[in-house]
Amino acid sequence: MLSDSPSGQERTVTYVGGATIDGAPIAYVVVLAAVCTALAFIPFSVIVALGGSFPLSQAIFPLVGWILGPVAGAVASGIGALVGVFVAPHTAGIPVVRVAGAMVASFVAGTMRHQGQRGWWWLPTTVAGLVSLALFGGRAMVQNGVSLWAVAAGAFVDWSALLLYALPTRRVISKWLAGPSLGAVAAGLGLGTWIAAGMAHLVQSTIAYFIYNWAEDVWVMLIPVIPVENLLRCVVGVIVGTGVITGLRAIGLAEAREAVI
Amino acid sequence: MNAIALQTVDRRSVFTRLDFRPKLFMMFTITMVAFIWEDPRLGGGLALAVLLSCLAAGIRAGYIRTVLALMLPFSALVILTQGFFSTTLITTLTGRQPDDFRMLIAFPSTWPLVGGAGLSWEGVLYALNIVAKSLTMTLVIALGVFTTDIDAMVVGLVKARVPYKIAFVFSATLRFFPLLFAKAQAIIEAQRLRGLALEGMGLLRRLRIYARIVVPLILSSLIDSQMLDVVLQSRAFNGSSDRTYLHRSRLKAADWIAIGLTGLFLAAAAIGYAVFGIGRFGGVLRP
Amino acid sequence: MPQTIATFSNVSYVYPRSDTPALRDISLEIPKGEFLGLIGPNGAGKTTLSLMFNGIVPQFYGGRFFGAVTVAGLDTLEHPISSLARHVGIVLENPETQITATSVENEVAFGLENLKVPRDEIRARIPRVLEAVRLEGMERRHPQELSGGQKQRLAIAAVLAARPSLLVLDEPTSQLDPVGAREVFDTILELNHTLGITIVIASHAAEELAECADRLLLLAAGEIVDEGPPDEVYAQVERLEELHIRLPDITRTFYFLRRRGFSVPELPVTLTQGLAAIRPLMTRCDPTPPEANPATVRRDGDPLISVTHLSHTYPNGTQALCDISLDIHRGEYVLITGQNGAGKSTLVRHFLRLLLPTAGEVTVDGEATPDLTTSALARCIGYVAQNPDVQIFSSTVEKEVTFALHHLGLSSDKIQTRCQESLAAMGLLAVADRHPLSLPRGERARVVIAAILALEPEAVILDEPTTGQDEQGARLILDLTKQLHSAGKTVIVITHHLHLMADYAERVVVMGERTLLRDAPIRVAFHEPNLLAKTYLAPPQAVRLAQAIAHETGVAMPFLTPMELARAFTKGTAAGNS
Repeated sequence: MLSDSPSGQERTVTYVGGATIDGAPIAYVVVLAAVCTALAFIPFSVIVALGGSFPLSQAIFPLVGWILGPVAGAVASGIGALVGVFVAPHTAGIPVVRVAGAMVASFVAGTMRHQGQRGWWWLPTTVAGLVSLALFGGRAMVQNGVSLWAVAAGAFVDWSALLLYALPTRRVISKWLAGPSLGAVAAGLGLGTWIAAGMAHLVQSTIAYFIYNWAEDVWVMLIPVIPVENLLRCVVGVIVGTGVITGLRAIGLAEAREAVI
Repeated sequence: MNAIALQTVDRRSVFTRLDFRPKLFMMFTITMVAFIWEDPRLGGGLALAVLLSCLAAGIRAGYIRTVLALMLPFSALVILTQGFFSTTLITTLTGRQPDDFRMLIAFPSTWPLVGGAGLSWEGVLYALNIVAKSLTMTLVIALGVFTTDIDAMVVGLVKARVPYKIAFVFSATLRFFPLLFAKAQAIIEAQRLRGLALEGMGLLRRLRIYARIVVPLILSSLIDSQMLDVVLQSRAFNGSSDRTYLHRSRLKAADWIAIGLTGLFLAAAAIGYAVFGIGRFGGVLRP
Repeated sequence: MPQTIATFSNVSYVYPRSDTPALRDISLEIPKGEFLGLIGPNGAGKTTLSLMFNGIVPQFYGGRFFGAVTVAGLDTLEHPISSLARHVGIVLENPETQITATSVENEVAFGLENLKVPRDEIRARIPRVLEAVRLEGMERRHPQELSGGQKQRLAIAAVLAARPSLLVLDEPTSQLDPVGAREVFDTILELNHTLGITIVIASHAAEELAECADRLLLLAAGEIVDEGPPDEVYAQVERLEELHIRLPDITRTFYFLRRRGFSVPELPVTLTQGLAAIRPLMTRCDPTPPEANPATVRRDGDPLISVTHLSHTYPNGTQALCDISLDIHRGEYVLITGQNGAGKSTLVRHFLRLLLPTAGEVTVDGEATPDLTTSALARCIGYVAQNPDVQIFSSTVEKEVTFALHHLGLSSDKIQTRCQESLAAMGLLAVADRHPLSLPRGERARVVIAAILALEPEAVILDEPTTGQDEQGARLILDLTKQLHSAGKTVIVITHHLHLMADYAERVVVMGERTLLRDAPIRVAFHEPNLLAKTYLAPPQAVRLAQAIAHETGVAMPFLTPMELARAFTKGTAAGNS
């Protein structure tokens, strides 16, 4: 209620907004893509299997998906990773693997909504994940003679992420992320990053495995390494995510239409 | 960091004269063929061809050196792991039994831990195929992108039916990421200026510090993006592909020839692989 | 074509999620070809008003809108922003966020492409608009390679290409150095005079507005408080000072003279007017020079910071500093000034070991900087960088202030005490629980200063602390530096806003051409216009007036501020007059 009545006649305002990608302001998509590229310069950890290091940007791809939604998030992360491949080759690895991982992480994160019309998107995503796991594990066991237990242990991050994604866990995560409790937000970020980064790892590993075909001994060596790396991504994801979400709520920036947070 | 111009090459060549669309097709084709081929001779030949093309196109030696330098430890790792451990894979692909492998290094069985293990020539060959694939997949993208002016890339993407919004995000990312990188550096510096000694910190503390770089980077960037949105609106930007373009993207005779040759190459590689086994790993081991 | 280019009829506006109108009952007509200046403190509504011309407010933001705005005959609520973009061009404060393309020509073409202007027409317009803003020949340059002033001129060119009849600029020079600011004003004045483009510019640059504007609109709390030609609006000194609006130095000088009993029929607003107005006073009065020559301020003891034959070359071969030597003693207040690229920040970064000398030596408290770490030096020298947003890491103001204290090994009681003291000094106790980024820019800067002060450093360096601040905000920060100085701290301020520093700094280090041009007391340095011109700076208007008087009378007039200059005039009689 305004304290003094304006003298002019009130007009109907048609809120136009700006150009968007799937409901996310294109300016947000641009700056987050540029953030992903900038963070591609900062190596964070060494990946034994792919022989490179993973950049700090990997820890924020899920957050980008939660801020922008699945499609806009995937676009921002994908383009950010693609540009990062060229300008920061020391953290790049194989371009298609890096870009695919970025897009999948953001997309999966963005589909974790507990409300809205896209509640069914989890299903084809899960099916795609299952296909990927089948290809990955199948090739390992059938062509390369890797034992079942080595595949199960070595792909723990991948199948656990897929399982948690397929279960209603993602809806719980979405509620936590959107809720007022910072503790719940942190839990949502941790678990959500495990899932999103795990699914990204699954897709990346599938593509990479068709190139590298590492033997059982390598699978066994990687068993302790991959979960630790994914856990690092989760820790960074929690620290960054809580800071960003707290800040966004305090600043009161307009949300993207498909934002999860 | 020298990234303002995305390392676009300085000199003209057959690659710079091509439209971006045939280059997109070439990148896709060569990546797919490299992915499929497992014969290190063919894979190595493809990698060499791409490398020589990069040099001929004028891609900066610094970039190529960086890629090759990064590939060295990776290659060593792959050669060792495949050489020592890829027994089942080689048998599956070639039918050859482990006893028939040619061992380059064989540790006596009495040795602890490594006793009985050996580095096989077949495994090394397979590793070389992997190295060649990785090199090809990395350099072919650079070849396509670095030989294309950003403007031509944007229009080429739109002509290739990529929505203009995506092309715009790509070019705007190129514009803004140096600013954000500088901002990230400034944030790191500001933390040191607040008395934080990053040197000598444990992993977990460093983790928290790194995370503290990202939060202000993201938040301040999103705040700035509000003004960017206003600017875009003020310039009548609505993201639609229905617009005019300052730069042109037209397919000329050379582009059609390139598309045709690339298509032929893809078809030949596919048929050769499927029907005649050209590119399969077993071929390299035939006497 | 209507004679009036834009009309506001009883316009009020309320942003979404707000109860307070950002603008109230604005009625205004802007004739074609006018140069209109918008002045007012931060938060007065200048930006909101500026964004109404092309419909951004309210079409983009939403909210509640009352009344009507028409531009070129089009109601801004009934026509899409893309239609209005053909008639109105907007240039905003930050040169970086306005440029979205990777080359100059693409930036100019961007708006035209959106408006579906044919390609050949775009090609024809690009060189013409680049020439109009003096960027001809730079079509293929990357925006990163341009200076701040060039970037803003590019932003002007980009909107100019659409041939708008109205150009709206919102604080276009606040983040530029004096060279860049001058270039922008010269450009828009020329566009106004030669092409007849109507200009609406919101700015704190009082002296430039006084020279360029046909009319000023004074805004406060969302309302038009006054309007008229600059000499009428700026003449209301008391009212403007109450609103914390910056006045031209010339105007303040003559205002003080009038208060001292001198007959000043009209307050001049430009230097030319001031020179003409001072002559009658000079014939009737003797300007009294200061009592003694200004003494060089020197402190005893070893310097806190010592620079000896310092040179620095960046890895890419750019020589940034060449053979610089200077000492800064404890308790000094030093102004380091010079154009962009003169080496000011490069010099200061050596004090904190952010850079190491290529040649020469830098010591802090007797120790060479290579032997120390930045984090250790930061406990002795606090550094506040220009952009506060890159120095904010925490979720509340209080946490921000205590951020670094936790790493000092202090007890929690001590941390709390220091935090409260720092917050109180900066007037931030009321917002201690708020997220720093939710505060206005001016307060964010104060949060960072509070955080630095909590470390209790011996010296404080502030890099361009007044950029983006209005007069009140700038004075608040500089008054704080005065308090720190009075408390015995060493203060170093880097800025090219010379008019602000006359009341604060004791000593001036002028940088230019990668070297130290002058190191002298402020009263000496400010009165060397040729030297300042070498680094593309000009002395404050009051100093220029003093120099003009000195030139006429042959008597040295080393005055710095309007008040000092006014006090120099006594109402005694000249020799021979009764």
